Amino acid sequence: MATDKELGDFLENVERRAFKQAVYAVRKDEAALDIVQDAMIKLAEKYGDKPAAELPMLFQRILQTTILDYFRREKVRNTWVSLFSGLGRREGSDEDFDILEAYEAEEGSAAAESTMDQAERAQTLQLIEAEIQKLPARQREAFLMRYWQDMDVAETAAAMGCSEGSVKTHCSRATHALADALRAKGIQL
Amino acid sequence: MNTDDINLAYKIRHALNDNLDALPASTTERLAAARAIALSRKKADAPVQQPRKSRRFFDVDFHFSGAGLGRLGVAIPLLALVVGLGGLYQYEQQQRIAELAELDAAVLADELPLTAYLDHGFNAYLESQQRQQ
Repeated sequence: MATDKELGDFLENVERRAFKQAVYAVRKDEAALDIVQDAMIKLAEKYGDKPAAELPMLFQRILQTTILDYFRREKVRNTWVSLFSGLGRREGSDEDFDILEAYEAEEGSAAAESTMDQAERAQTLQLIEAEIQKLPARQREAFLMRYWQDMDVAETAAAMGCSEGSVKTHCSRATHALADALRAKGIQL
Repeated sequence: MNTDDINLAYKIRHALNDNLDALPASTTERLAAARAIALSRKKADAPVQQPRKSRRFFDVDFHFSGAGLGRLGVAIPLLALVVGLGGLYQYEQQQRIAELAELDAAVLADELPLTAYLDHGFNAYLESQQRQQ
Protein backbone atom coordinates (compact mmCIF):
# COMPACT_ATOMS: atom_id res chain seq x y z
CA MET A 1 0.00 0.00 0.00
CA ALA A 2 1.14 3.56 -0.72
CA THR A 3 2.91 5.39 2.08
CA ASP A 4 2.28 9.05 2.78
CA LYS A 5 5.47 9.91 0.94
CA GLU A 6 4.58 7.81 -2.10
CA LEU A 7 1.16 9.40 -2.28
CA GLY A 8 2.63 12.87 -1.84
CA ASP A 9 5.24 12.30 -4.52
CA PHE A 10 2.63 10.91 -6.87
CA LEU A 11 0.32 13.89 -6.39
CA GLU A 12 3.17 16.35 -6.78
CA ASN A 13 4.23 14.65 -9.99
CA VAL A 14 0.77 14.57 -11.49
CA GLU A 15 -0.93 17.72 -10.22
CA ARG A 16 0.19 20.14 -12.94
CA ARG A 17 -0.70 17.82 -15.77
CA ALA A 18 -4.02 17.04 -14.09
CA PHE A 19 -4.70 20.76 -13.84
CA LYS A 20 -4.00 21.26 -17.54
CA GLN A 21 -6.14 18.25 -18.40
CA ALA A 22 -9.01 19.78 -16.44
CA VAL A 23 -8.44 23.15 -18.11
CA TYR A 24 -8.56 21.53 -21.56
CA ALA A 25 -11.90 20.03 -20.59
CA VAL A 26 -13.69 22.81 -18.71
CA ARG A 27 -11.86 25.92 -20.06
CA LYS A 28 -11.89 27.66 -16.68
CA ASP A 29 -8.83 27.79 -14.46
CA GLU A 30 -10.75 28.18 -11.19
CA ALA A 31 -13.07 25.31 -11.97
CA ALA A 32 -10.09 23.20 -13.04
CA LEU A 33 -8.32 23.89 -9.74
CA ASP A 34 -11.44 22.86 -7.81
CA ILE A 35 -11.70 19.69 -9.88
CA VAL A 36 -8.07 18.72 -9.28
CA GLN A 37 -8.42 19.41 -5.55
CA ASP A 38 -11.58 17.29 -5.36
CA ALA A 39 -9.89 14.48 -7.27
CA MET A 40 -6.83 14.58 -5.01
CA ILE A 41 -8.95 14.48 -1.86
CA LYS A 42 -11.10 11.65 -3.19
CA LEU A 43 -8.01 9.65 -4.10
CA ALA A 44 -6.45 10.18 -0.66
CA GLU A 45 -9.64 9.53 1.27
CA LYS A 46 -10.93 6.52 -0.64
CA TYR A 47 -7.84 4.91 -2.10
CA GLY A 48 -5.02 6.09 0.15
CA ASP A 49 -4.40 2.50 1.21
CA LYS A 50 -4.02 1.17 -2.34
CA PRO A 51 -0.65 0.14 -3.77
CA ALA A 52 1.34 2.98 -5.35
CA ALA A 53 1.27 1.24 -8.74
CA GLU A 54 -2.52 1.57 -8.90
CA LEU A 55 -2.59 5.28 -8.12
CA PRO A 56 -2.18 6.63 -11.70
CA MET A 57 -5.14 4.67 -13.05
CA LEU A 58 -7.29 5.42 -10.02
CA PHE A 59 -6.46 9.10 -10.10
CA GLN A 60 -7.23 9.41 -13.80
CA ARG A 61 -10.54 7.67 -13.30
CA ILE A 62 -11.45 9.97 -10.41
CA LEU A 63 -10.34 13.02 -12.39
CA GLN A 64 -12.47 12.10 -15.41
CA THR A 65 -15.46 11.38 -13.17
CA THR A 66 -15.04 14.70 -11.39
CA ILE A 67 -14.87 16.52 -14.73
CA LEU A 68 -18.00 14.71 -15.84
CA ASP A 69 -19.73 15.71 -12.60
CA TYR A 70 -18.77 19.31 -13.29
CA PHE A 71 -20.41 19.15 -16.73
CA ARG A 72 -23.52 17.57 -15.23
CA ARG A 73 -23.82 20.34 -12.67
CA GLU A 74 -23.24 22.93 -15.37
CA LYS A 75 -25.91 21.36 -17.52
CA VAL A 76 -28.43 21.41 -14.67
CA ARG A 77 -27.49 24.99 -13.82
CA ASN A 78 -27.80 26.06 -17.45
CA THR A 79 -31.16 24.34 -17.70
CA TRP A 80 -32.50 26.31 -14.75
CA VAL A 81 -30.97 29.55 -15.99
CA SER A 82 -32.42 29.11 -19.46
CA LEU A 83 -35.77 28.07 -17.97
CA PHE A 84 -36.07 31.25 -15.98
CA SER A 85 -34.63 33.54 -18.62
CA GLY A 86 -36.92 32.14 -21.29
CA LEU A 87 -34.08 31.99 -23.74
CA GLY A 88 -33.24 28.31 -23.31
CA ARG A 89 -32.95 25.98 -26.21
CA ARG A 90 -35.50 23.23 -26.59
CA GLU A 91 -34.62 19.93 -25.02
CA GLY A 92 -36.19 16.51 -25.13
CA SER A 93 -34.51 14.47 -27.80
CA ASP A 94 -31.05 14.66 -26.30
CA GLU A 95 -31.42 12.60 -23.12
CA ASP A 96 -28.68 10.24 -24.26
CA PHE A 97 -26.48 13.08 -25.37
CA ASP A 98 -23.06 12.96 -23.75
CA ILE A 99 -21.44 16.34 -23.85
CA LEU A 100 -17.99 14.79 -23.54
CA GLU A 101 -18.47 12.88 -26.78
CA ALA A 102 -18.96 15.95 -28.91
CA TYR A 103 -17.80 18.96 -26.93
CA GLU A 104 -15.61 21.06 -29.20
CA ALA A 105 -14.39 24.61 -29.04
CA GLU A 106 -16.42 27.10 -31.00
CA GLU A 107 -14.64 29.01 -33.68
CA GLY A 108 -13.84 32.48 -32.48
CA SER A 109 -14.00 31.57 -28.79
CA ALA A 110 -11.23 32.49 -26.38
CA ALA A 111 -9.93 28.95 -26.59
CA ALA A 112 -9.57 29.04 -30.32
CA GLU A 113 -8.62 32.66 -30.67
CA SER A 114 -5.06 32.11 -29.54
CA THR A 115 -4.52 29.74 -32.44
CA MET A 116 -4.57 32.72 -34.77
CA ASP A 117 -1.05 33.72 -33.80
CA GLN A 118 1.62 31.45 -35.21
CA ALA A 119 4.90 33.24 -34.98
CA GLU A 120 6.71 32.53 -31.77
CA ARG A 121 7.37 29.42 -29.74
CA ALA A 122 5.14 30.37 -26.85
CA GLN A 123 2.38 31.00 -29.28
CA THR A 124 3.05 27.67 -30.93
CA LEU A 125 2.65 25.94 -27.59
CA GLN A 126 -0.57 27.80 -26.99
CA LEU A 127 -1.74 26.75 -30.39
CA ILE A 128 -1.00 23.10 -29.68
CA GLU A 129 -2.95 23.36 -26.46
CA ALA A 130 -5.82 24.97 -28.26
CA GLU A 131 -5.88 22.15 -30.80
CA ILE A 132 -5.92 19.63 -27.98
CA GLN A 133 -8.84 21.48 -26.44
CA LYS A 134 -10.69 21.22 -29.71
CA LEU A 135 -10.49 17.44 -29.73
CA PRO A 136 -13.63 15.53 -28.75
CA ALA A 137 -13.34 14.80 -25.04
CA ARG A 138 -12.89 11.04 -25.28
CA GLN A 139 -10.15 11.38 -27.88
CA ARG A 140 -8.42 14.00 -25.75
CA GLU A 141 -8.63 11.87 -22.60
CA ALA A 142 -7.21 8.84 -24.36
CA PHE A 143 -4.45 10.81 -26.03
CA LEU A 144 -3.35 12.60 -22.84
CA MET A 145 -3.42 9.49 -20.70
CA ARG A 146 -1.45 7.44 -23.21
CA TYR A 147 1.15 9.96 -24.29
CA TRP A 148 1.28 12.50 -21.50
CA GLN A 149 0.55 10.49 -18.39
CA ASP A 150 2.58 7.48 -19.60
CA MET A 151 -0.25 5.05 -19.01
CA ASP A 152 -0.36 1.91 -21.10
CA VAL A 153 -3.38 0.87 -23.19
CA ALA A 154 -4.82 -1.40 -20.49
CA GLU A 155 -4.54 1.27 -17.78
CA THR A 156 -6.07 3.89 -20.04
CA ALA A 157 -8.94 1.55 -20.92
CA ALA A 158 -9.56 0.84 -17.23
CA ALA A 159 -9.48 4.54 -16.37
CA MET A 160 -11.83 5.44 -19.22
CA GLY A 161 -14.14 2.48 -18.68
CA CYS A 162 -13.90 1.30 -22.27
CA SER A 163 -12.15 -1.43 -24.28
CA GLU A 164 -8.50 -1.36 -25.27
CA GLY A 165 -9.58 -1.25 -28.91
CA SER A 166 -11.53 1.92 -28.24
CA VAL A 167 -8.47 3.48 -26.61
CA LYS A 168 -6.37 2.72 -29.67
CA THR A 169 -9.04 4.13 -31.95
CA HIS A 170 -9.38 7.31 -29.89
CA CYS A 171 -5.60 7.78 -29.79
CA SER A 172 -5.23 7.24 -33.51
CA ARG A 173 -8.02 9.66 -34.38
CA ALA A 174 -6.68 12.26 -31.95
CA THR A 175 -3.17 12.06 -33.39
CA HIS A 176 -4.43 12.34 -36.95
CA ALA A 177 -6.67 15.27 -36.04
CA LEU A 178 -3.79 17.06 -34.34
CA ALA A 179 -1.45 16.34 -37.23
CA ASP A 180 -3.95 17.69 -39.73
CA ALA A 181 -4.69 20.76 -37.63
CA LEU A 182 -1.03 21.62 -37.07
CA ARG A 183 -0.19 21.01 -40.69
CA ALA A 184 -3.02 23.30 -41.69
CA LYS A 185 -1.56 26.02 -39.45
CA GLY A 186 1.86 25.48 -40.99
CA ILE A 187 3.37 24.25 -37.76
CA GLN A 188 6.24 21.83 -37.98
CA LEU A 189 7.19 20.04 -34.77
CA MET B 1 -0.64 4.07 -35.45
CA ASN B 2 2.46 4.32 -37.60
CA THR B 3 5.85 5.62 -36.51
CA ASP B 4 5.18 9.16 -37.75
CA ASP B 5 2.03 9.37 -35.65
CA ILE B 6 3.82 8.14 -32.55
CA ASN B 7 6.66 10.60 -33.14
CA LEU B 8 4.18 13.42 -33.47
CA ALA B 9 2.43 12.30 -30.29
CA TYR B 10 5.68 12.41 -28.34
CA LYS B 11 6.63 15.80 -29.81
CA ILE B 12 3.28 17.14 -28.64
CA ARG B 13 3.95 15.60 -25.25
CA HIS B 14 7.26 17.43 -25.12
CA ALA B 15 5.59 20.71 -26.00
CA LEU B 16 2.94 20.21 -23.33
CA ASN B 17 5.59 19.50 -20.72
CA ASP B 18 7.37 22.72 -21.68
CA ASN B 19 4.16 24.59 -21.08
CA LEU B 20 3.79 23.17 -17.58
CA ASP B 21 6.69 25.29 -16.39
CA ALA B 22 4.83 28.41 -17.43
CA LEU B 23 2.04 27.95 -14.92
CA PRO B 24 1.50 31.05 -12.78
CA ALA B 25 2.73 30.94 -9.19
CA SER B 26 -0.78 31.36 -7.81
CA THR B 27 -1.84 28.17 -9.59
CA THR B 28 1.11 26.11 -8.38
CA GLU B 29 0.56 27.37 -4.83
CA ARG B 30 -3.09 26.45 -4.98
CA LEU B 31 -2.18 22.99 -6.28
CA ALA B 32 0.34 22.53 -3.46
CA ALA B 33 -2.30 23.57 -0.92
CA ALA B 34 -4.78 21.12 -2.45
CA ARG B 35 -2.17 18.37 -2.23
CA ALA B 36 -1.56 19.17 1.45
CA ILE B 37 -5.29 18.99 2.16
CA ALA B 38 -5.56 15.68 0.35
CA LEU B 39 -2.62 14.20 2.24
CA SER B 40 -4.05 15.33 5.57
CA ARG B 41 -7.20 13.36 4.75
CA LYS B 42 -5.44 10.24 3.53
CA LYS B 43 -7.24 7.03 4.32
CA ALA B 44 -5.54 5.34 7.24
CA ASP B 45 -3.79 2.08 6.52
CA ALA B 46 -6.01 -0.86 7.34
CA PRO B 47 -5.00 -2.32 10.75
CA VAL B 48 -3.45 -5.75 10.63
CA GLN B 49 -6.07 -8.29 11.56
CA GLN B 50 -5.07 -10.37 14.58
CA PRO B 51 -6.23 -13.98 14.39
CA ARG B 52 -9.04 -14.27 16.89
CA LYS B 53 -8.99 -17.04 19.47
CA SER B 54 -11.95 -19.31 19.16
CA ARG B 55 -14.28 -19.03 22.09
CA ARG B 56 -16.13 -22.12 23.08
CA PHE B 57 -18.74 -22.39 25.74
CA PHE B 58 -17.91 -24.65 28.67
CA ASP B 59 -14.25 -24.72 27.77
CA VAL B 60 -11.38 -23.72 29.97
CA ASP B 61 -10.10 -21.44 27.20
CA PHE B 62 -13.24 -19.33 27.28
CA HIS B 63 -12.61 -15.88 28.66
CA PHE B 64 -15.41 -13.94 30.25
CA SER B 65 -14.74 -10.72 28.45
CA GLY B 66 -17.27 -7.93 28.27
CA ALA B 67 -18.51 -9.10 24.88
CA GLY B 68 -18.90 -12.71 26.07
CA LEU B 69 -20.89 -11.67 29.11
CA GLY B 70 -23.03 -9.43 26.97
CA ARG B 71 -23.87 -12.34 24.69
CA LEU B 72 -24.69 -14.57 27.68
CA GLY B 73 -26.86 -11.81 29.13
CA VAL B 74 -29.04 -12.02 26.02
CA ALA B 75 -28.91 -15.77 25.48
CA ILE B 76 -29.94 -16.90 29.00
CA PRO B 77 -33.23 -14.95 29.23
CA LEU B 78 -34.07 -16.02 25.67
CA LEU B 79 -33.47 -19.66 26.59
CA ALA B 80 -35.60 -19.29 29.75
CA LEU B 81 -38.39 -17.71 27.70
CA VAL B 82 -38.37 -20.53 25.15
CA VAL B 83 -38.38 -23.22 27.89
CA GLY B 84 -41.19 -21.43 29.74
CA LEU B 85 -43.36 -21.10 26.64
CA GLY B 86 -42.77 -24.76 25.80
CA GLY B 87 -43.80 -25.86 29.31
CA LEU B 88 -46.92 -23.69 29.23
CA TYR B 89 -47.92 -25.16 25.87
CA GLN B 90 -47.49 -28.73 27.19
CA TYR B 91 -49.53 -27.98 30.32
CA GLU B 92 -52.38 -26.48 28.27
CA GLN B 93 -52.39 -29.48 25.96
CA GLN B 94 -52.65 -31.88 28.91
CA GLN B 95 -55.53 -29.90 30.38
CA ARG B 96 -57.37 -29.92 27.08
CA ILE B 97 -56.93 -33.68 26.68
CA ALA B 98 -58.17 -34.30 30.19
CA GLU B 99 -61.32 -32.20 29.59
CA LEU B 100 -62.09 -34.02 26.35
CA ALA B 101 -61.59 -37.39 28.04
CA GLU B 102 -64.11 -36.47 30.72
CA LEU B 103 -66.64 -35.44 28.09
CA ASP B 104 -66.05 -38.64 26.09
CA ALA B 105 -66.53 -40.77 29.21
CA ALA B 106 -69.78 -38.97 30.01
CA VAL B 107 -71.07 -39.42 26.43
CA LEU B 108 -70.25 -43.15 26.46
CA ALA B 109 -72.09 -43.53 29.76
CA ASP B 110 -75.16 -41.87 28.21
CA GLU B 111 -75.24 -39.38 31.00
CA LEU B 112 -75.53 -36.28 28.84
CA PRO B 113 -76.85 -35.24 25.39
CA LEU B 114 -74.50 -34.66 22.43
CA THR B 115 -75.25 -30.95 22.53
CA ALA B 116 -73.24 -30.86 25.73
CA TYR B 117 -70.16 -30.76 23.49
CA LEU B 118 -71.16 -27.24 22.57
CA ASP B 119 -71.66 -26.11 26.14
CA HIS B 120 -68.43 -24.62 27.39
CA GLY B 121 -69.83 -24.33 30.91
CA PHE B 122 -70.44 -28.05 31.08
CA ASN B 123 -66.91 -28.73 32.25
CA ALA B 124 -67.55 -26.59 35.27
CA TYR B 125 -70.73 -28.58 35.91
CA LEU B 126 -68.86 -31.90 35.69
CA GLU B 127 -66.17 -30.70 38.04
CA SER B 128 -68.72 -29.53 40.58
CA GLN B 129 -70.46 -32.92 40.31
CA GLN B 130 -67.18 -34.71 40.90
CA ARG B 131 -66.44 -32.56 43.88
CA GLN B 132 -69.85 -33.34 45.38
CA GLN B 133 -69.27 -37.07 44.97
